[in-house]
Amino acid sequence: MDTISIRAPSVSPSGTKIRRSLRTRLPAAIALLPTALIVLVVYIGCMLWTVRLSFTSSTLLPKLDWFGVTQYTRLFANDRFVTSAENIFIFGALFISGCLIIGFLLAVFIDQNVRGEGLFRTIFLYPFSMSFVVTGVAWQWFLNPALGLQKLVRDMGFETFTFDWIVNQRMAIYTIVIAGLWHGSGLTMAIMLAGLRGVDKDLWKAAKIDGIPTWRVYTSVVLPLLRPMVVTAVVLLATGVVKLYDLVVAMTLGGPGIATEVPAKFVMDHLFERNNIGLGTAAATMMLITVVIVLAPWVYVRYVRPQGSHA
Amino acid sequence: MNAAEPQGRRPHRLTVGRIGVYAFLATSALFFLLPLWIMVMTSLKPMEEIRLGNILALPAAMTFEAWTKAWSSACTGLECNGISVGFWNSVRILIPSVILSIIAGAVNGYALSFWRVKGANVMFGILLLGAFIPYQVFLYPLVRIFSLTGVYNSLLCIVVVHVIFGLPTMTLLFRNYYAGLPLELFKAARIDGGGFWSIFFRVILPMSTPIIVVAAILQVTGIWNDFIFGLTFAGRQNLPMTVQLNNIVNSTQGERAYNVDMAATMLAALVPLVVYFVSGRWFVRGIAAGAVKG
Amino acid sequence: MSMKTRVSAYTLSVALVCSTGAFAQQKAEVLHWWTSAGESASVKVFADQFTKAGGTWVDNAIAGGVNARTAGINRMVGGNPPTMMQFNTGKQFDELVSNDLVRDVDAQAKAGKWREIMPKPIVEAAVRNGKFYAVPVNIHGQNWMFYNTKIFADAGLQPPKTFPELIETGEKLKAKGVIPIALGGQPTWEHNLFRAVLVGNGGAEMFRQFYGVRKPDVLKDPKFRQTVELFGKMRGLVDPASPGRNWNDATALVITNKAAMHFNGDWAKGEFTAAGQTPGKEYGCTLVGDTPKEVIGGDVFVFPATKDKAALETQDKLIQVLLDPATQLAFNIKKGSIPVRLDVDVSSMDVCAQRSSAVLKDPANQVEAMELLSPPNYSGAIQDAVTQYWNTPSMTVDTFIEKVSNAMRDAT
Repeated sequence: MDTISIRAPSVSPSGTKIRRSLRTRLPAAIALLPTALIVLVVYIGCMLWTVRLSFTSSTLLPKLDWFGVTQYTRLFANDRFVTSAENIFIFGALFISGCLIIGFLLAVFIDQNVRGEGLFRTIFLYPFSMSFVVTGVAWQWFLNPALGLQKLVRDMGFETFTFDWIVNQRMAIYTIVIAGLWHGSGLTMAIMLAGLRGVDKDLWKAAKIDGIPTWRVYTSVVLPLLRPMVVTAVVLLATGVVKLYDLVVAMTLGGPGIATEVPAKFVMDHLFERNNIGLGTAAATMMLITVVIVLAPWVYVRYVRPQGSHA
Repeated sequence: MNAAEPQGRRPHRLTVGRIGVYAFLATSALFFLLPLWIMVMTSLKPMEEIRLGNILALPAAMTFEAWTKAWSSACTGLECNGISVGFWNSVRILIPSVILSIIAGAVNGYALSFWRVKGANVMFGILLLGAFIPYQVFLYPLVRIFSLTGVYNSLLCIVVVHVIFGLPTMTLLFRNYYAGLPLELFKAARIDGGGFWSIFFRVILPMSTPIIVVAAILQVTGIWNDFIFGLTFAGRQNLPMTVQLNNIVNSTQGERAYNVDMAATMLAALVPLVVYFVSGRWFVRGIAAGAVKG
Repeated sequence: MSMKTRVSAYTLSVALVCSTGAFAQQKAEVLHWWTSAGESASVKVFADQFTKAGGTWVDNAIAGGVNARTAGINRMVGGNPPTMMQFNTGKQFDELVSNDLVRDVDAQAKAGKWREIMPKPIVEAAVRNGKFYAVPVNIHGQNWMFYNTKIFADAGLQPPKTFPELIETGEKLKAKGVIPIALGGQPTWEHNLFRAVLVGNGGAEMFRQFYGVRKPDVLKDPKFRQTVELFGKMRGLVDPASPGRNWNDATALVITNKAAMHFNGDWAKGEFTAAGQTPGKEYGCTLVGDTPKEVIGGDVFVFPATKDKAALETQDKLIQVLLDPATQLAFNIKKGSIPVRLDVDVSSMDVCAQRSSAVLKDPANQVEAMELLSPPNYSGAIQDAVTQYWNTPSMTVDTFIEKVSNAMRDAT
C-alpha cells in the first residue's frame, strides 16, 4: 500500500510579491526539471503506451497493430471483469470507511494517556510491515471452517456455530475486507493519532469548563479539526484499494469461483500469466479512466487551480 | 511520541471508563495479534504437527529449527543459504533509494510550495494520478527505456526505479509539509538576498526533520518489501531479500514447509519493524507537523 | 538486441557490484523456478553434472513460473538474457520463437535422435517450423489420482477405475465419515480436476478437441455434457472447507488419513516424500478412466539467442548435460517426474514412476497437456468458467457450455 499525505495548501497572497521575479524563479524551474522529465517520459509515456496497447491484439509481447475496440467489447462481456469492478467498489467503500472508524477509535483510546502506549501502537502498526504472501496464509487458515474460528468454537461445544464466509461466494469478499482492515487500520490510527496530538490544549480546557462530555468534544469539535488528516488517510487508503492484489492472491486467489476477483488482479493475470496484453491493458485503461473521473475534479480544485491565489 | 503530550483527559483513579479504555485496546490488540499468533505457533512446530491442522494450539514439540533454517539454510534454488543471502543486497538498494527519493521529494516539495513555476502544479497533478496506477503496467516500457540507456539490470537501475515510483508520495508529503510552514521565514530569507538553494539549505532543510523521518519510514517499508521491481530491474547480482523470501514461500509445485515460510516472513519484516519502533515518536509528530497545521 | 548493448549492460552491472568483472570460461547463468527443497535437490543434479563437465553453473532461481518467465522475457527484451532459461512447453513460447529471441537446437536434436526417443506430444511441443527450439527435460503426468491405502483397506473398497465408479465409491466413503476427495480449492486445481475428468471420461480425442482444435461441435457431444455433469457431481465429494486451500494442504489431508483421494500431478509425490511416506505403501497412484490416458507436460529449457561464440558453446554443453541418460535418471528421481527419454531404464525409480513410464510406452495413452494445446489466454478463460461452475452448484450445464463457447470465440 502506498502512502500519501494530502492537505490543502495554505493560501497566502502576501507571498506573491516575492515570487514574482522570473530570474529568481529559474533555479526552481531547473530543480523541477528532472521530475518534469520523469512525469513526461515515465508517467505520461507509460499511460499513453498502455492506452495504445489496449487497441492492439498483443498477446505475449506488445505489438502495435490496430485491433479497434475489440478488447473493450470483450472486456465488458467478461463476467470476471464485471465482478471485479463490483468487488472493488464494495471493498473500497467498506475498507476505507472501516479503516477510518477503527483507526479513529484506536487513536482516541490510545490518546487517553494509557500505559504501554508504544506497545499498543506497535501492535496496531506491525501488520503494515509484513509481506502478505504468508500473512495471507495465516488469515486463510483462521477463516477456514475446518481449521480456524469455526472449528475452535465448535470444539468448545457450540456444534452449530458457523463462520464459513471465506468458502461462501456471497460472503468471501468480506473476509478480504477483514484482512484489509487488519493491514490498513494501524496506519490510519497513526495518522489520526498525529492529528489528535495537534489539537490545541486550550480547547480541552474550555470544553472541561463548559462541562461538555468528552465524547461530544471528540465528535463535534475534534473530528472536524481532523479533516486534513481524514483526507490524507482517504487518499492513502484509496491508492491501496485501486492496487489491491496481494491480499486477494494470498487469501482466495479470486475464489470461490470468481467471487473475490479484483481489477488489479485481472490486469496482472492477463498481462503476465495469460499472455493477453491487449485485454490486460484495456482493463488497466478502464481503471485509469475511473480513477481520473473520480479524482480529477478533486485534484483540480485542490492543487491545480489554487496556483493563481497561492503563489 | 513521548515528546508530544496526549490531549485527552487525565483521570487519576481507575474508573469504569478507564477499565473500558483498556478493555477496548486489549480486545483490539488481540484481533491484531491473531495472525501473528498463528504464524509464531506454526513457525515453532515441526511439519508433522502442522499437517494435523490445529493452527491455534501451542506446539507440542517446540523447535526453533525453522527460524535458523529460514535465515541461513533453506533452499532457494541451487543455493541453500536461506534469506540471509539477499540481506545486504536489500540494504544496498534501500539506503541510496531512500536517501535519493527523500532529496527528490524535498526539493520538489520546496519548489512547488514556495516558488511559482509555470505548469508545476499540472505536473504535480499528473504525478498524483500516477500513484493510483498498478506498478506492473509500467514494467515493460520501463525495461525498454532502461535497456536503451544501458543501465538496465544494475544497482543504479533499481535505485532510479525506486526514486521514480517514490516521487508522487514524497513530493506530496513535502509539499504539504512546507505549505504549512510560516511564510514569514521564507520572506525574511528572500529579503536577506537568499537564492533558491541557499534558502533551501539554510532555512527550509533544518526545519524538515520530522517530515524526513516520516518519509524515511514510508520509503523503508515500501522499498524493503518490494519484490517485483527488484526482480525486474536489479540484475542477478543485486537481487533483494524478498526474492529469496518469495523463493521460499511461493513455489508452485514444490512441497511446502509452512514453519519455514512463517519464520522467513517474520524475519524479513524485522528491518521495517525496528524502524517503526525506534522512530515511532518522530513518525507521529512528523505527520502532525505536515498535515495538521495550516 | 545488439551485442553491444548486451555487453555494456552486463559489464556495467558487474562492474558496479563485483570487483572482478572478468568472465570465467563456460559460465552459464540459468534461470528457473525450482525453489522448494525437493526441487532444489533436483536442479542440483544438473548443476553438479555441468560442473563436472568443466562448466560453472550460476544459479538464478525465482519462484513462481510467472515471475521467472516475466523476468526472463524482460531480460531478453532488454538485451541481457541468461544463458539458459526454464520455460513451459507449449504455445507460450511461440512468440519467443517468432521474435527470434530463442535459438534453435535442431542440430543437437538430430544428433541425439530426440524425435525417436521422446514422446510425440513432447516433441511437438518443443518443435516450431520443423525445428527444435527447446530442450525438454522431464515428463510430468498431470492427472494422477493419489489415494490413501489405509482408508480404502479399512472401508473394504477398491480404488475406482472409472469416474462413474468414483462417484459411487466416494459416496460410500463419505457415509463412513471420510472426506472422499481432497481438493485444493483454487482455480488452478479445480481446473486440473476438470481436465482429469475430461480425459478420463470424455477420452483423449475430446480433450484435444476441447483444448486444441477448439471446435464448438465438441460442446454439443452428449458425452461432453455427461462429463460436465459428472464433474458437477464431484462437488458433493469434496469437503466444504476446500475453497482457497493450497494444494499442499489438500495433500496433507490424504497424508493424515482424513481424505481418501486426491487428484494432482506427480509432483505431489514430493509432499508425501517429505512426510516420510512411500508410494505403493501408505499411498497409491492410479489413472482413473476407461483406459489409462496420461496427460503429459513437462519442463523445458530454452536458450536465448546470442551471437557470442563462447556462449553458444556453453549452451551446447548444457544441452549435452541435460539429456545424458544417467543425469536424466538422477534428476527425475529427485523431481518426481519421469525421464523425457523413454529409452532410459526406470527400474530403479518408485512404483508410480514405473507405472507412468509403462503407460507412456503406448503412444495411444499419451495425451498432451493443456499448456501444449492452448494459448494461456484461452486456458485462462476456461479456468474462469470451470471455477465458476465448480463453485456454483446451481449453475446449469448449459450456462457452463455457453461460457466455454464464448471463451472459444474470443481466444486468440
